[in-house]
Amino acid sequence: MLHARREQETENRRPGAVPGRAVLVVAGLVLLAACGNGRASLPEGVAVAATDSAVSVTDDAGREIRLAHPARRIVSLVPSATETLFALGAGDRVVGRTDYDQGPEVETIPSVGGGLDPSLEALLALRPELVVGWEEGKDPALRQRLAEQGIAVFAVAIRDTADVFRNVERLGALVGRGTAADSLNRAIRSGLAEVRASVAGRERPSVFYVVWNDPPMTAGPETFIAQLIGVAGGRTVFPDVKQDWPTVALEEIVRRQPDIVVVPVGEMRAHSAARLREAAGWRSLRAVRDGRVVEVPTDLMNRPGPHLAEAARAMRDVLHPEIAAGGR
Amino acid sequence: MNPSGALLRLSALAVVLVAALLLSVGLGAVPLGAGEVLRAARGAGDPTTVAIVQGLRLPRALQAALVAAALAASGATFQALLRNPLAEPYILGVSGGAAVGAVLAVVFGWAQRAPWAIPAAAFAGALFAIVLVLRIAASVGRALDTRVLLLAGVVVGAFFSACILLVLTFADVESFRSAIFWLMGSLSGASGRGVGVLAADLLPGIAVLLALARPLNLLAVGEDTAAHLGIRVERVKLLAFGVASLLAAAAVAASGVIGFVGLIVPHVIRLLWGSNHRFLLPAAVLLGAAFLTLADTLARIAAAPTELPVGVVTAFVGVPFFVWLLRRSVV
Repeated sequence: MLHARREQETENRRPGAVPGRAVLVVAGLVLLAACGNGRASLPEGVAVAATDSAVSVTDDAGREIRLAHPARRIVSLVPSATETLFALGAGDRVVGRTDYDQGPEVETIPSVGGGLDPSLEALLALRPELVVGWEEGKDPALRQRLAEQGIAVFAVAIRDTADVFRNVERLGALVGRGTAADSLNRAIRSGLAEVRASVAGRERPSVFYVVWNDPPMTAGPETFIAQLIGVAGGRTVFPDVKQDWPTVALEEIVRRQPDIVVVPVGEMRAHSAARLREAAGWRSLRAVRDGRVVEVPTDLMNRPGPHLAEAARAMRDVLHPEIAAGGR
Repeated sequence: MNPSGALLRLSALAVVLVAALLLSVGLGAVPLGAGEVLRAARGAGDPTTVAIVQGLRLPRALQAALVAAALAASGATFQALLRNPLAEPYILGVSGGAAVGAVLAVVFGWAQRAPWAIPAAAFAGALFAIVLVLRIAASVGRALDTRVLLLAGVVVGAFFSACILLVLTFADVESFRSAIFWLMGSLSGASGRGVGVLAADLLPGIAVLLALARPLNLLAVGEDTAAHLGIRVERVKLLAFGVASLLAAAAVAASGVIGFVGLIVPHVIRLLWGSNHRFLLPAAVLLGAAFLTLADTLARIAAAPTELPVGVVTAFVGVPFFVWLLRRSVV
């Protein structure tokens, strides 16, 4: 249960979330582009259909989503996608959200429950033209249920920062705001570049990022979290793990002695840094004993979307507090 | 209890069940007026409302009733056969076997290809568990010893639990989540076609158990007594075990592991009205169906649009009531 809950609250994904078919489709499109059919500038997985207003996008389950016109009524089950839609100026088309979406702009939008187990009737009653949902992997029960009702589902899997940019592009295409998507991506990229430049030439501390404390779980090197740590002038202390969200033995963390322990802090008390500092096993870490346990806001870290650069900045500020303080 | 009194009580329970079904179709996360619901049930009016009432609420209410009816009949039968108050539908390792089947269907990606892969694999897993338990029990002695059967069920169940934990340790996050949701039990997967298949599977099985009421009465007293009174004990036992397990297997394949109904509902009837199986079995079927239908309705509306796990509601509502009943009848 804890695991299920945790996966709802974080937007964490493991490898294999994008099935082979999606990879094939993308590879096919890349090949087409390489053949010089004039579509080389289009983002992967996005194709513009014959008429101006019709849209066709390939989602992370490898399925093609075709809409006769840009979506006007959207239920978003993915908090970062909700944020992206708002950032693209299409917030007024979001007619449904999950319990996990927060903030003043979504407060008035009705919720359909959880993102993975929404109330189907609440969802149907909102009459969406498009549902943005999680890529469900090997058990696509929700997508099948919604397909029975004739509702298109755009399935999203977010693993690394490239996925974030891809999602912005595809969501932009689905709501007919390609230009806004391009400029949003440019803004995110330049924000990341700014953070990267600010830490250039500085020492890169090794970081243990606490996805979960018991059993200890961290972010693998291919995830957006590890990439954000890199942008923010740190390096993950587990660059060699294969999984994206691996469980690691506490003694292995102790052996590697990370310079800094980063704890996402939000509503979930189990994550609280204070408790970690008291925990018996964690006291074996020099970083914990010497007070190098730092906090980042969970909500910002777990929503890989338009606020990606802000997340990088928050990470930089805890890894290199001297920059945050304005000193050198 | 005289026959007319029993009939009166069964009719009252049937009325409660019908009321529960109507309530379940009438209430949900989306507030709909009674007139709207009635129109939608006839297929008229707003298409979204029709989809909600006909496509979601009605199949779900019927599935709750069917699954609970099967679990209650199965539980009552196991309690009689094993002469053990803790007996319940999953006692012969059915839930463990079904869970292994469901988890494998997810992990190996069968569920991706066909929506019915999970129920099919769960049913196959449950059958495998039943056969395994019966064979273990049969290999110990010539006659089916209920104590051996109980122990075989417990150890096979424990073994399957370990298998699930092993598979889930190496499973990806999505598979893990699917498996946990499945293990929690849910009626949210109900569809019109699924309910039809379920009714065709479950109703004959329930009818067989109802027909076995008299031999079950005698077996509940003791196997020797039953044999003296002309019951072919081994045949009846095998038939009752087989059908009760199949019912549990089909129910668990459709809705995951929904606990409590199969264990407690037969006891409630026993505490209220005694343990004559001719009355106990049909009464447990009706009460179980009404109880789960109402519990699922509550699970859908209590924190709407967030759905509570139905097992939470059955336990939160059922346990206090049962404790009260237990104290009342013992004092």
